[in-house]
Amino acid sequence: MKITDAAVFPYPCGDTSVRRLALEAKTLGFDSLVAMDTPAGSFDGVEILSGIIMQDAPMRDVIARVKRAKDSGAVISVSARDNGFNRAAISLKGVHILRGIQAADKNAFDHVTAKMAADNNVAIDIDLSFLIGARGVIRQRAIHRYRDVLTFERRFEFPVSLSSHARSYLDLRAVREITGLCSLIGMDTAGVEKALDTVGRVTAPPVSAVRVVS
Amino acid sequence: MSPRPPTLRENRRYILVRVEPAGTAIDQKELYYAISDAVTSLWGDAVGGVIMQAVVAAENGHVIIRCLRGTEKELALALSTLTACREVRLALRIEAASGTIESLRERIRAEKPGTEPSSEMVTGSAGTGDGEPGEYVFAEKPFLIGQCNGQKVDVIEKGFKNAHRLFLTRSDLENS
Repeated sequence: MKITDAAVFPYPCGDTSVRRLALEAKTLGFDSLVAMDTPAGSFDGVEILSGIIMQDAPMRDVIARVKRAKDSGAVISVSARDNGFNRAAISLKGVHILRGIQAADKNAFDHVTAKMAADNNVAIDIDLSFLIGARGVIRQRAIHRYRDVLTFERRFEFPVSLSSHARSYLDLRAVREITGLCSLIGMDTAGVEKALDTVGRVTAPPVSAVRVVS
Repeated sequence: MSPRPPTLRENRRYILVRVEPAGTAIDQKELYYAISDAVTSLWGDAVGGVIMQAVVAAENGHVIIRCLRGTEKELALALSTLTACREVRLALRIEAASGTIESLRERIRAEKPGTEPSSEMVTGSAGTGDGEPGEYVFAEKPFLIGQCNGQKVDVIEKGFKNAHRLFLTRSDLENS
């Protein structure tokens, strides 16, 4: 099982280099990181996976960019918007993670979208920065939305990923702290372990439904 | 007022946390208010009143925080939501919990002294470039070394305005 933070933003997006993030992540208990707009590599035994986020783009552009990035080996994420957009994004081949569900419309994620996510093996991301850095109503809304997502997750069993969205190594949290934070949204330790391993599962090549034996 | 007999005293626990980034000046009172804010924001006044958190010591980049026994988990969770103290960005990394302050102090003493505010720690082409001694270039910008601890190097952008702090490694400076 690989413990992966599903989104970090190294320098120049943040103030910490990718090597330093890897060094700190290792001491906090992570095996790999998805670093946005950074080439893949490995530093100090921590695997860096390249990540791409598509946000504020019309569906036509998203389709074109996913097509281009599909074979690059990067972890491809799309920022959630309205319900129709989310359903279309989830059904796109090559999309691994749907992010920003806490900031999307109230009805952006429903049972149909949840079923589609489970069928297409697309992870729904839980952005821990809202639990860590936000205060008041914003955090309360995020907690409510994540609880809602987890209700669907228990019913439809789609993958859920956890990301710190760290722009500095100060934003990273240890696995034990993440377990505590996720208890706020009703996720138990087993659920957290499974969620931290999600990136490996959604990026693995799909197993063919038909196997040729001869 | 006579002190309470031991059997009537509340049992307390002490949590040892390391303050990141290294070298951050810690004002106990300010940190207490920041922690109280984090606790109240996360758990509300009712639970905050039960936790009864207090900053009892700050030494060697570590802070010892007191709470009521049985509320360590709640306090630890609140500490993980602390991101700044007086607009200075920081993170508190929980290292240990104990029933006595002394055992945590021993733990601090046992830790090897790590940080060195020195520019001589980093060797390589970057430090011996065109700039002044002690000046390093990263991403084509001049930086001065702030803190150095093993592989970790904190640098501060040279200049009067927008003196950003970056968190790098020796390899970053040597390869840039």
